[in-house]
Amino acid sequence: MVAKCQVISLCRSLLRAGRKYPDYNIREYTKRRTLDGFRMNKNLTDPLKAIEAYDEGNAQLEAVQRVLKVYLAYPPKTKNIMELKVQ
Amino acid sequence: MASKAIFSTLRRSLTKPHAAAVSRRHHFSTSSAAAATASESYADDSAIVMKGVRISGRPLYLDMQSTTPLDPRVFDAMNASSIYDYGNPHSRTHLYGWEAENAVEAARIQVANLIGASPKEIVFLSGATEANNTVVKGVMHFYKDKKRHVITTQTEHKCVLDSCRHLQQEGFEVTYLPVKTDGLVDLEMLKEAIRPDTGLVSVMAVNNEIGVVQPMEEIGRICKEHKVPFHTDAAQAIGKIPVDVEKWNVSFMSMSGHKIYGPKGVGAMYVRRRPRVRLEPLMNGGGQERGLRSGTLATQQVVGFGVACELAMKEMEYDEKWVKKLQERLLNGVREKLDGVVVNGSLESRYAGNLNLSFAYVEGESLLMGLKEVAVSSGSACTSASLEPSYVLRALGVDEDMAHTSIRFGIGRFTTEEEIDKAVELTVRQVEKLREMSPLYEMVKEGIDIKNIQWSQH
Repeated sequence: MVAKCQVISLCRSLLRAGRKYPDYNIREYTKRRTLDGFRMNKNLTDPLKAIEAYDEGNAQLEAVQRVLKVYLAYPPKTKNIMELKVQ
Repeated sequence: MASKAIFSTLRRSLTKPHAAAVSRRHHFSTSSAAAATASESYADDSAIVMKGVRISGRPLYLDMQSTTPLDPRVFDAMNASSIYDYGNPHSRTHLYGWEAENAVEAARIQVANLIGASPKEIVFLSGATEANNTVVKGVMHFYKDKKRHVITTQTEHKCVLDSCRHLQQEGFEVTYLPVKTDGLVDLEMLKEAIRPDTGLVSVMAVNNEIGVVQPMEEIGRICKEHKVPFHTDAAQAIGKIPVDVEKWNVSFMSMSGHKIYGPKGVGAMYVRRRPRVRLEPLMNGGGQERGLRSGTLATQQVVGFGVACELAMKEMEYDEKWVKKLQERLLNGVREKLDGVVVNGSLESRYAGNLNLSFAYVEGESLLMGLKEVAVSSGSACTSASLEPSYVLRALGVDEDMAHTSIRFGIGRFTTEEEIDKAVELTVRQVEKLREMSPLYEMVKEGIDIKNIQWSQH
């Protein structure tokens, strides 16, 4: 069985990594998808399914961390309209 | 055409000279301080100047029907593949070839799973245009002695229509079925159009301009009854609506990678094995892909396409919910503040990610020009360069004036709620501004029916 603190830590790591995407749309999507993904699996009682979901989350985190390096190496020259209005 | 050229040169000459200095290609330029300063001034202004248009930031991307951004998960898979899978997947004598072949075969399974087919029925090629060309021309060329007739619809994508035109020049006959006002095919008309020498029926699953979903199962059943091969262009359908080649009873299907957050330059063609249907290849050569498409496969692209298909299958339900929510938000937002907004095509039988709207009493080109901060299009990207109204809307029987004012909003996986709100705000502002200037709108407000006005010519 996956411990609650492990799940929360995974969720936090995904959110933290996702925040670093320089692309507005991908950043927002990663945040939304992470939160929704954890909410969807909130009531998993089957330990096998929980482990499966946890492993998948970890795989996603690894992918984000890999891809993020490339994204950060090529930052966009100009910001998205949506980011400008926030400032 | 000439007037458009004059107009664009005029526009260019009106913009400030520093526009010319700005280059967007400095990513890979190794040289010159000039390029560096240009890019700095570009960043300092925090504005993009391109083609004489000045925008303060990257526009909202609402053109998901023309193409979609690459999903980072797809990108991740392609990266790994492009480093190691460089062998030729058709090389049978060494490990490099075997590895690349394995990668390609894994992608084939992923694509096949998405559409409920067997991996052996998937042929990789460059995209949906090539798939459509291969099927339409290939089938008719193969059966040319007995079959001389093709049925398609008037709202089909340009590449199907153009292939049909090509066949006509070779002496084949083509029936272009009209569609109803909601964009759907009349099944009775289809039945009547089928002749003993009909060699192919080609109807697209989801329309690229208006997003209507054709009654695929019914069309498939009719084709089965009459024993006519059925081809569908599903570039806009896979990964967005459930696709099952058995349920639809299609013999051929065209798919594309870049419409489902995959890479550009790759697509696939489904060719049914039982009952066997045959076609003449467009490309001749090494006999790869069951001899239907010679040429070395782009392993990395194919891998990306495969992952995109797998993701699309996993995320379909989630994405659909989100897209539907945003579509309603966009439509309600626009309708709340504006009158005279018409949705083109059926609202019930429609893929939610496509919202084609016409704004009455507004000139479409002016609206698109004013909406520079929203990346939308008036219709398909293939025809957006011309000032002609879309042939798809004309086939629906949309009035000339309404067809000229159409805008296609494309919503997808990466669209946010804030973007939709912003798009609504900008669209409403622009439409109101244009209507304020429009004498036609004033007359309508006064209760004059503009259809009955006798315009005098000077």
